Amino acid sequence: MSAITRNGVTIDDTFAEAFGMSGLGLVITADTLKWAKISAQVMTGFGTSVIGCGAECGIDRELSPSETPDGRPGVRVLMFGFSPDALKPQLLNRVGQCVLTSPGSACYNGLDSPTKLGLASGPRFFGDGWQTAKKLGKRRFWRVPVMDGEFVIEDKCGLTTEAVGGGNLLILGRDRAGLLEATEAAVDAIAKVDDVITPFPGGIVRSGSKVGSKYKGAIASTNDAFCPTLKGAVKTECSPDTIAVLEIVIDGLTSKSVAEAMRVGLKTIIETGAAKGVTRVSAGNYGGKLGQHHYHLKDLLP
Amino acid sequence: MSTLSFTLRQAPTQPINLSALIPSKLAGLSLGDIEALPLVDGPNALQVGDVFAVSGSLGETIAISGGSSFLDHVGEGLDQGTIIVEGKVGNHAGRGIKGGKLEIGGDAGAYLASTAKGGIVHVKGSAGDFLGGTRPGDRFGMLGGTVVVEGNVGQRAGERMRRGVVVARGKFGPAAGSRMVGGTLWTEAGFGARPGPLLRRGTLIGPSVDELLPTFADCGRIDPVILGILSRYVAQTLGPLAPKPLPPLVRKFAGDRATIGKGEILLTA
Repeated sequence: MSAITRNGVTIDDTFAEAFGMSGLGLVITADTLKWAKISAQVMTGFGTSVIGCGAECGIDRELSPSETPDGRPGVRVLMFGFSPDALKPQLLNRVGQCVLTSPGSACYNGLDSPTKLGLASGPRFFGDGWQTAKKLGKRRFWRVPVMDGEFVIEDKCGLTTEAVGGGNLLILGRDRAGLLEATEAAVDAIAKVDDVITPFPGGIVRSGSKVGSKYKGAIASTNDAFCPTLKGAVKTECSPDTIAVLEIVIDGLTSKSVAEAMRVGLKTIIETGAAKGVTRVSAGNYGGKLGQHHYHLKDLLP
Repeated sequence: MSTLSFTLRQAPTQPINLSALIPSKLAGLSLGDIEALPLVDGPNALQVGDVFAVSGSLGETIAISGGSSFLDHVGEGLDQGTIIVEGKVGNHAGRGIKGGKLEIGGDAGAYLASTAKGGIVHVKGSAGDFLGGTRPGDRFGMLGGTVVVEGNVGQRAGERMRRGVVVARGKFGPAAGSRMVGGTLWTEAGFGARPGPLLRRGTLIGPSVDELLPTFADCGRIDPVILGILSRYVAQTLGPLAPKPLPPLVRKFAGDRATIGKGEILLTA
């Protein structure tokens, strides 16, 4: 494997392997940005991996009042799942329990797409017959009476089956604190890219996994090749000076947006990483046989 | 942009149905073909050329110079393009309009935009009774689209209306929103007596009501999010024609409780 070195950081000649997914976008507004974010954070919580959470969710970006249907501040959240059918119960439960319940909230479609998924199909019945709809142009808004006024929820939201889940960067360092700082900076840069989320805590995952396990019933287990504490005991991917490895996982509504997010993340690491102890950037793949999307790091170099 | 112009030769003396004069129906016709189109059948039969001097070339816009309350069905079924009428029109203007824009320089008669499904109707004068309403045989009145009336509106606007928005700078006449099933009537001047008889769903917005039906229940002052959505929607759809954004607080009267009563009259003042 031939590697390239940029600005003191080694870039492995490898690729991230990602999967086709279904994705949808929502706009959540509230009286203040603070409360729109609270609702969105709770709604996208426990949404790190489809394996155990049912959906991968996150906040794409904040929206100014001029960008929302009701003229209030809001945020756009994205949700990704294996299929439209897998997203349905996630949407119902997350919107029903976390957005409907949040003070002053309203929930709208956040993705223009010819394919739609029912957004209000469940939550509107909370109105117990008092719910009414207002169709304006092509959009139908349900108004559900609640204790602080009305919960407004759009009838349908856009859905894409062209979404991509699992774009990633593995960042290796010889200093844990510096590595975390450098990776945080990359996550911040990726946050500025539209149509993508980094669903893990703070955008960073420390427990990269491999497929399979020695134990029956576990479909994934620790990625021992990238565990620095095992580097003498297993066929390791770590460098001799590797203290820690962090991963950024990226889901996007399009393959292009995922590639752009990886490019921006890689650029940030190259620009700022070496001083913080980042030594290498690699990427996670399964030999190229499982995922439809391959993002080669050398193609994404600045 | 090329314009096809129809200039009235003289003031009409009998009702004339102009539903044939919309861009999609005239597409591909020569000026001669257009002049030969029948407008009135029977003993007093008239063709387009008898009533109008036709000039210009067909593009996205049709202009009708002059105006008369005998000009019925103007812009009926319009699906694209613009029709501009210099003066007033008769009944049924913009009936069943699906898209495009109908601009009327003067007053409009009864049944303006009845069964409309889309598009924009802009009346610079006043509009007659049953605006956005039903004619006998129609199941519903207006089903979509937007109407702006600069002047006043007659009785029973929005009769059995289901969707769409009607904005009036002036006042709605008595019984606006009668038997309405959905949609929005919005006045900047107020409603006449007893709006919303048998209103099922739908929203009537205005600063005042001359006399409320006893079957409307006072729900007090409220600040629903839908006010912001409506204000933004009309601003985006109508641009400079849009009414002033709604205030954050309105007083709601729920009704008509003589039926399912899920409609509302929202008082802005």
